[in-house]
Amino acid sequence: MTAEILSDEPVLTLDELCRACGLTELTVKTYVEEGVIEVRGVDATHWRFSQVSVVRIQKAWRLERDLHLNAPGVALALELMSRIEELERRLQSRANDV
Amino acid sequence: MEYKDYYSLLGVEKSATQDEIKRAYRKLARKYHPDLNKEEDAEAKFKDVSEANEVLSDPEKRAAYDQLGQAPEHGADFQPPPNWDAGFEFSGGPTHEQPNAHAFSDFFESLYGQRYQQQRAEQARARFHAKGEDHHTKVVIDLEDSFHGATRSIVLKMPELSLDGHLVVKERKLEVTIPKGVRDGQNIRLKGQGAPGLGDGAAGDLYIEIALKPHPLFRVEGVDLHLELPVKPWEAALGGKVKVPTLGGIVELKVPAASQQGRKLRLKGRGLPAQTPGDVYVTLQIALPPADTEKSKELYETMAKELDFDPRENLMRAAQKMNQARAST
Repeated sequence: MTAEILSDEPVLTLDELCRACGLTELTVKTYVEEGVIEVRGVDATHWRFSQVSVVRIQKAWRLERDLHLNAPGVALALELMSRIEELERRLQSRANDV
Repeated sequence: MEYKDYYSLLGVEKSATQDEIKRAYRKLARKYHPDLNKEEDAEAKFKDVSEANEVLSDPEKRAAYDQLGQAPEHGADFQPPPNWDAGFEFSGGPTHEQPNAHAFSDFFESLYGQRYQQQRAEQARARFHAKGEDHHTKVVIDLEDSFHGATRSIVLKMPELSLDGHLVVKERKLEVTIPKGVRDGQNIRLKGQGAPGLGDGAAGDLYIEIALKPHPLFRVEGVDLHLELPVKPWEAALGGKVKVPTLGGIVELKVPAASQQGRKLRLKGRGLPAQTPGDVYVTLQIALPPADTEKSKELYETMAKELDFDPRENLMRAAQKMNQARAST
């Protein structure tokens, strides 16, 4: 069974993204407003999302549901998480150099 | 069946108030949430605290659980006494929006499962079509696997709903071909390998997050690889060809004459496969031969005598300027 790498290309419409994530338009729009996912296009009818957004938005939704967060809280948590990951990567490459 | 001490799972006293239970649960949920905690047992712990919360946060379920009494003697099998829940009314369904997202323990199922099963069976029977839930998992691979592509068998434990509404955990083994050039933190997707859909709904997808194991030689940055390459002083000074390990095998690298310590050289296209394949960046590390024999000492002494070489020339000049500047103020 061959897996496909999720691409960064903005290809999905809002409707397709909602169906792929199993979430409502309202939820997705809130995440877009909070900058949880990146979007191309001027307005909702022209929005295009990447496949990577599907995974990111599902993670956001799990955090919101399981930890009773609101959307700005989720956005902050995700930002701090990627900051931690970046720092851990740097620590790791330092550890390798020594 | 293993008895579950829900109070100790949440770290609260039996006399804890509903507010204390809520606080304890929220704190532990943040700590063990599998999206936040990368430890391997985080998911199991998260399930435990969710299950404990499911029971203790609901006053009816909690009262029934309290009736059960203590855990049996060490090692003994736990069986709920007959009619243990007589006189308790359970109302409402699970508090989670997607009850089948969590498979609770046998212990939980034996106590509260029947009521859930009735509800689930009703849901399953209803003419309701929905796409199955997507599943997420993480796979750690070697850098070599990303370079050459690899096949990994993955065992997935998935809670599934049987036709009569029972929740069963099924193990599924999948042979997954990992695409070439996959990078750390990237997600790959297997279409239709998530949870089965409801009714005529399509199955969900399986998302796999890829983590690359740290490599002993190469540091990875996107599609590029970084390597520190020890070279001999004369290779750096005079230039020459040196052998360099890459993931695709050993290649020859031309070191230009008069290369200094830390010089970066690029092996184009020898990094991870991609539309534009990554490069390997080689950083030269000049290694000094030890002066541990008569011959080597003699060579160093000859260099000391005959070479007009002062590596601290610039440094000293800068230091002098700084001192002069300070003296003139």
